[in-house]
Amino acid sequence: MRAAVREGWRIGAAAAGALRGRAGRPLSQAAGDSGGADGSGGGGSGSREAVERLVREHPVVVFMKGSPAQPLCGFSNAVVQILRLHGVEDYRAHDVLQDPDLRQGVKNYSNWPTIPQVYLNGEFVGGCDILLQMHQNGDLVEELKKLGIRSALLDAEKDKEKK
Amino acid sequence: GAGGPLARTIRAKLTAALQPTHLEVRNDSPRHGGPPGAETHFGVLVVSGLFAGLPPLQRHRLVHEALRAELAGPLHALQVTARTPEQWQSDPKNPPAPPCLGGSKR
Repeated sequence: MRAAVREGWRIGAAAAGALRGRAGRPLSQAAGDSGGADGSGGGGSGSREAVERLVREHPVVVFMKGSPAQPLCGFSNAVVQILRLHGVEDYRAHDVLQDPDLRQGVKNYSNWPTIPQVYLNGEFVGGCDILLQMHQNGDLVEELKKLGIRSALLDAEKDKEKK
Repeated sequence: GAGGPLARTIRAKLTAALQPTHLEVRNDSPRHGGPPGAETHFGVLVVSGLFAGLPPLQRHRLVHEALRAELAGPLHALQVTARTPEQWQSDPKNPPAPPCLGGSKR
């Protein structure tokens, strides 16, 4: 368990880096810079196409309030903590507080009224309640395995068995 | 009936839509720094046979559908626990909301 906690600090730093976008600019600016090329009426950061791009960017994508290093909402923090427990080191986290268009666009895309939202392999999985349930009943370990991610909890259990 | 107007609306709409055998509506607003009487953050426990055979995502969608207008309006956050009567009988636990971190005021 301690190893998973140590990994958690690295998650925070890495995810904070991911939050800034590739060129180090805040996400909302990066979305604006890409221009309206996708023809969805301005190509705003909240368009279906923009959200689709984000959820397909990585096997694990989270829309949240704040960042993994500094969540600004208890539900968002719960999602971050659960992923940390499973040793998920590398995922994309998007702070919807930085971008009102993205915040609404995400809700439209998934037809889900609240944040945080968790996407696994581009597919909407649910919010904090559902992720917590999946964590408690073992489903999350299985879903991560399908993505080629080995949950840290499997190793933690193995260590227990060895002792 | 306990609670303010939004609590009563939530209770009425969930009762009408899901015919629950057990329903708990909890106002979590004070835990999120709301002033007295605030009705912004709620948690609901819904026990209904209508959930049978549905995965959690679909159960939550049914709850959201019943509260669509409220979620587009004053209801900022909604924690949902959705169980079938059989599940509730074998494990009658309503998990509490995660602690608020209070940073965004929204």
